[in-house]
Amino acid sequence: MTKVLRDNQKLFTWLIWGLVIVGALLWFGPIIGAQRSYRLVQSTITGVLVGGVYALIALGIVVINKASGVFNFAHGWMMLAGGLIFYSFFSAVPISPVAAGALSFFTVIMALTTNGWRALREPRTLLIAIGASVVLTVVLSILPTGWEMIRAIIGAGLGAVLVGLVAERFAIRPLIGQPLFAMVLMTLALSELLHGFTQLIWGSVELPLSLFAGLSQIGIPSPIRITDVLDGPLIIRTELLVAFALSIAAFGAFVAFFRFTSVGLAMRATAENQKLGQAVGLRVRAILAVAWAIASLLGGVAGILQGAATSLSLNMPLLALRAFPAVLLGGLESIPGALIGGLAIGLVQEWANLLFPGSQAGTELAPYVVLMIVLVIRPDGLFGQKRIERI
Amino acid sequence: MSANIRPSGVFDVKYAQDISLNRTTSDRWIANGLFVLLLLIPLFTIEGPFGINLIPQLWIGTIVRISIFVIAVQGLNILIGYTGQISLGHAAFMAVGAYSSAIFAREFGMSFWVALPLSAIFTGIVGLIFGLPSLRVKGFYLAMATLAAQFIIPWLLRYPLEGLTNGSRPIEVPIPELFGISFAHENAMYYIVIPLTVFMMLAARNILRTRIGRAFISVRDNDLAAELLGINVFSYKLQAFFLSSLYAGVAGCLLAFEANSLTLDSFLLDRSIETLAMLVIGGAGFPLGPLFGVAFVNLLSQNIIPAVIPWFNSIIPTLFPFINTVNVFAALNPLLFGGSLMLFLIAAPRGIAHRWEIFKISWKLRPFSQTR
Repeated sequence: MTKVLRDNQKLFTWLIWGLVIVGALLWFGPIIGAQRSYRLVQSTITGVLVGGVYALIALGIVVINKASGVFNFAHGWMMLAGGLIFYSFFSAVPISPVAAGALSFFTVIMALTTNGWRALREPRTLLIAIGASVVLTVVLSILPTGWEMIRAIIGAGLGAVLVGLVAERFAIRPLIGQPLFAMVLMTLALSELLHGFTQLIWGSVELPLSLFAGLSQIGIPSPIRITDVLDGPLIIRTELLVAFALSIAAFGAFVAFFRFTSVGLAMRATAENQKLGQAVGLRVRAILAVAWAIASLLGGVAGILQGAATSLSLNMPLLALRAFPAVLLGGLESIPGALIGGLAIGLVQEWANLLFPGSQAGTELAPYVVLMIVLVIRPDGLFGQKRIERI
Repeated sequence: MSANIRPSGVFDVKYAQDISLNRTTSDRWIANGLFVLLLLIPLFTIEGPFGINLIPQLWIGTIVRISIFVIAVQGLNILIGYTGQISLGHAAFMAVGAYSSAIFAREFGMSFWVALPLSAIFTGIVGLIFGLPSLRVKGFYLAMATLAAQFIIPWLLRYPLEGLTNGSRPIEVPIPELFGISFAHENAMYYIVIPLTVFMMLAARNILRTRIGRAFISVRDNDLAAELLGINVFSYKLQAFFLSSLYAGVAGCLLAFEANSLTLDSFLLDRSIETLAMLVIGGAGFPLGPLFGVAFVNLLSQNIIPAVIPWFNSIIPTLFPFINTVNVFAALNPLLFGGSLMLFLIAAPRGIAHRWEIFKISWKLRPFSQTR
């Protein structure tokens, strides 16, 4: 019996797969057939739109993993922090110069001392730091009403970079060479700390970020209704559509950054082999810091877009956890994989919400079922590298 | 680190001495005496049989909670500290234990004494199912698989099993009884929880000294090398998952019967992270690690945070005018918790238990030990 099993292993594997696929068709066929076609199209469109943000989150996780081999469980809190800082600068309240000054000063200091505190001993660096922070503070405090968008973009950019640099500097760098378990726990500790800070400053209320309120004034209807194509109305929420377009644009911009700039080239080289990178004269420490800053920026952009599409709430970290299945589906080291994985998770989520209504099956269950299936069938993901181990 | 180091001049002449947990007579007296003292504590509270107000009544509940979590974290210790398999879904397994025991007691009318082992074994089997991916994946991938368990299990409990578990609303759990004695009071519950905890700790300690435990440790240190030595890695990983979930099941069952009510909110991802942090702070891979870790985290959240909150509330409005003092209470817990976890990871990655071992060895080797 065992011999028969072993000799025809491939045949049996294919048989099992065939049975699984037939069973899935028999199960899902009637459920899908019972749906009206416009609702399927509606779910597909919504799924793709939601998937864009997932792809952006997944890209942030992949960037950190490629550069430093850490799986960042704190990405969701980085998203929320970026979004909340954006909210603070975006709302019309005048910004206190002390807060703006502290934000810009610490960011500039952290950015200038990525290689070590010694950089502060040089008077030139110190002058640059003070000058840059004074300029940024003045810009942040004197921008008049009507310029909140610019102010918010500068402020949120500074805040996200600060979060990323501080995380790399004080949490990840001391742990280089420690086992994976310590790294995982460190990102969890980071998420607890960020949780504490966001709770301390903004509380746990749900904040609406009306970023796309101006769209209806320039003639774009909200939501967009398409009534005469299928047997029912298709409703596309304008906020989701714009967030999708912007996240795909941001995705493209960051991919272009990795592809075409010298910093991006250095980052890819470091991700490939840190020791070789050091040998050809790359500053590996600074590059790791840049990778964290960029991932934090990506998270911030995703947080702002998601906040504008729905709202800024404590659900966002859970949303980022749902991007982990996307990362694993696409492959841990693969940037195109992040895009495809994100879109796939968005689609699966919306379809599951449609087919199993009333149980949150899409948002709470489906991504993790996909995760389990990926782990059992193909742990390296669609485009990931095969891992080879030696003793 | 040899935990069972002997004082100078004590030699083993029999095999029984070599394998005993307590090497010397004084060790044995200290261990047994501490156990008896622990059992005497509820007698000296205001609600005890003598009504002496020697020990605050609050301590009893705290000790019971600490010992329940010690069981749960000991399970995690078997899985992470000894076998090296990361699990992010421990709270979900605790939920399985709690809800299965509650359902056994409510729907099938079983008494606590039957529901406890049954729910423990049931949780072990559930843990086995979610340990199956460890056949193919390890490290981070396995962490993701257990993270999936952390979301799939509460979903199953909340929606498809709503008729049994009452969804996200709390359910009542019957009070344990034995020969007509009701264990409604927490002083009575103390006498169920404490002996059980001591038993589970000793069981863990002894399992880890057997063939299974040594196999666990070899899987943790290098699983490829362990496989080359003829150890069935997959089977031992599954055994570790089973044992770990069994401990989680016992802890969950005790939590349900101790509070007499049960909600799903206490078994979410935060609780998993908390148990992981307790393990790391206490010291992963040390038999006493869970005790130190749980005690530290409980001390932090129940004593230190209430003590510093008035002080924070007095200085924050002057220092940071943009912070609302209403948020301080909710924010301080994750802040101090994450901060202390971070400090331990950086400064003392082997936890409190490692310090304790060093202290113990230098005490036993006196006067020849070097002060460090």
